[in-house]
Amino acid sequence: MSGPERGATGLLSGESAAGAEARPPAAERGRGRAGATALARRRARAGALFIAPNLAAVAVFLLFPLGFSLYLSFHSWDLFSAPRFVGMDNYRRLFTADPLFYIALRNTAVFTVLTLVPTVVISLAIAALLNRKLAGIAVFRTIAFLPLVASTVAMAVVFRFIFASDDGLLNRMLGWIGLGPVPWLTDPDWALVSLSLVTVWKSVPFATVILLAAMQGVPENLYEAAQIDGAGAFRRFRSITVPLIRGALSFVFVITIINSVQAFDQAYALTGSNGGPETGTYVLGIMLFQNAFRFYEVGYASALAWVIFAILLVLTLIQLRLSRRAEADL
Amino acid sequence: MRRTPGRRVLNGALIYLAVIAVAWCALLPILWAVSASLKSEGELLDATPLPAHPQWSNYADVFDAIPLGRMLLNTVIYAGCVTAGQVFFCSLAGYAFARLRFPGREALFLAYLATLMVPLTVTVIPQFLLMRALGWMDTPWSMIVPGLFGSAFGTYLMRQFFQTLPTELEEAATLDGCTPWQIYWRVLLPHARPAVMVLAVLTWITVWNDFLWPLIMIQRNEYATATLGLIRLQGQYSTNWPLLMSAAILLLLPLLLLYALAQRSFVKGIAMSGLGGR
Repeated sequence: MSGPERGATGLLSGESAAGAEARPPAAERGRGRAGATALARRRARAGALFIAPNLAAVAVFLLFPLGFSLYLSFHSWDLFSAPRFVGMDNYRRLFTADPLFYIALRNTAVFTVLTLVPTVVISLAIAALLNRKLAGIAVFRTIAFLPLVASTVAMAVVFRFIFASDDGLLNRMLGWIGLGPVPWLTDPDWALVSLSLVTVWKSVPFATVILLAAMQGVPENLYEAAQIDGAGAFRRFRSITVPLIRGALSFVFVITIINSVQAFDQAYALTGSNGGPETGTYVLGIMLFQNAFRFYEVGYASALAWVIFAILLVLTLIQLRLSRRAEADL
Repeated sequence: MRRTPGRRVLNGALIYLAVIAVAWCALLPILWAVSASLKSEGELLDATPLPAHPQWSNYADVFDAIPLGRMLLNTVIYAGCVTAGQVFFCSLAGYAFARLRFPGREALFLAYLATLMVPLTVTVIPQFLLMRALGWMDTPWSMIVPGLFGSAFGTYLMRQFFQTLPTELEEAATLDGCTPWQIYWRVLLPHARPAVMVLAVLTWITVWNDFLWPLIMIQRNEYATATLGLIRLQGQYSTNWPLLMSAAILLLLPLLLLYALAQRSFVKGIAMSGLGGR
């Protein structure tokens, strides 16, 4: 049906809407518009129906838990007696009466830096390397991205073996180049470094995929122009590639921070549920797990969860602002 | 331009060396675990890369130590159900968000986007309480139902994809008198195969590798997942490395095979969605 024709029938049916049923021919002609509104109504009903199961799932397993955990964070509850309203007590206890919180906070901060910096630097270098046109590069990419699918828990167990005290692979390799054995998992400070190593191994490929995809969107002629102007490979990378993939870089920053602040699987599998040795790997994720599912201090753990959430929000906002300002400087 | 052929060869060799080093770093832990899984406990202390007498029996012994066969089967069932549910309900809702007008659509979609930001740590405690209230703890329901009806992330992914499809596809079908359901099922879903693949693979991997949720939900070995099995084995036999490495390889192997098969679309999907494994 062409445009004008549809308009004409629409107008007609509009004028004769009241008597449409009484006059069969007009009703026949008016089917265009009446049909359109009925169709729109049917499509609206279908739309509501189609999202209903999904919406219910998101509401029950995401929105309700979100609100309920905020409610819980102002209560004291051991799961057995009734929840008791305690106002800000849980938060006050976190910040003023629980030395373990500051240990977890410090460990998480150190762990995040130890993970974030190598992840960004290494994945940037690897993405630049894999971005070259080389024979067989597809094979190398496939292998380099392999850790993407590896289970964090399984790899943490494998790394525990590699870190194993004196005759672990890593210490043996250090021995070949004349370096003494490192107490990877038995010394509290080294244990946090080990935890970061496992996490970096797991998170570099993800960051590389994101950065490589962004790099492949950089127009080729920019490089050619720069080369004619005499810019070397490193200069081209710094002045063209990095500024043009800023969005992807910023995304990698945020995701790595989010994952590090919430880290749990690798800590549990590498050094156990207590964050040992001593408090060497006692990170926020372990603290949350212990309080919620070992000590059943549900309200207190919920308060901790919201503090973690708040930290993530603040860090994300800072990162967004920084990357926006950097963009304005360009 | 000014480079001599000799320098260019050297440059190329250096680049290949670097690329090989990267691939080696990605592979070494896995290869070392495979090697250790085939060693006897006595041989473990030797630095030999390959075991002289491969002990394939280590792999059989794992199944005696823990009911790993059962656990792997459980994981396949959980991952299969959740993946099927995610693909169906997320694509259905994604189609509605992309193409059907209904009251509150824009506001709802914004709410979905906002929930993508919520970290697992905030929702896991109430979800645990919910499962406890429903009496689903230590049952397969707790592993299947929460993911069965879709997620905000999957819906977002599918909506983005449906929006890229040309509207002419549906217009012809509408004129032929197709209902919205028929348009979704017969016209659009077959065109959405790339996005469906991405969502299915991402979901499968997430469920397969999930740890915290099964850890707090499941006690009984008969409902446990393979990740739980590995951790329990580690607790029991922390010194028997060959056995532990065999179990780790058994947990890694299926996904490595899946990756080998679906590698191209999987990597593209991660880059496209900018999300992925948690």
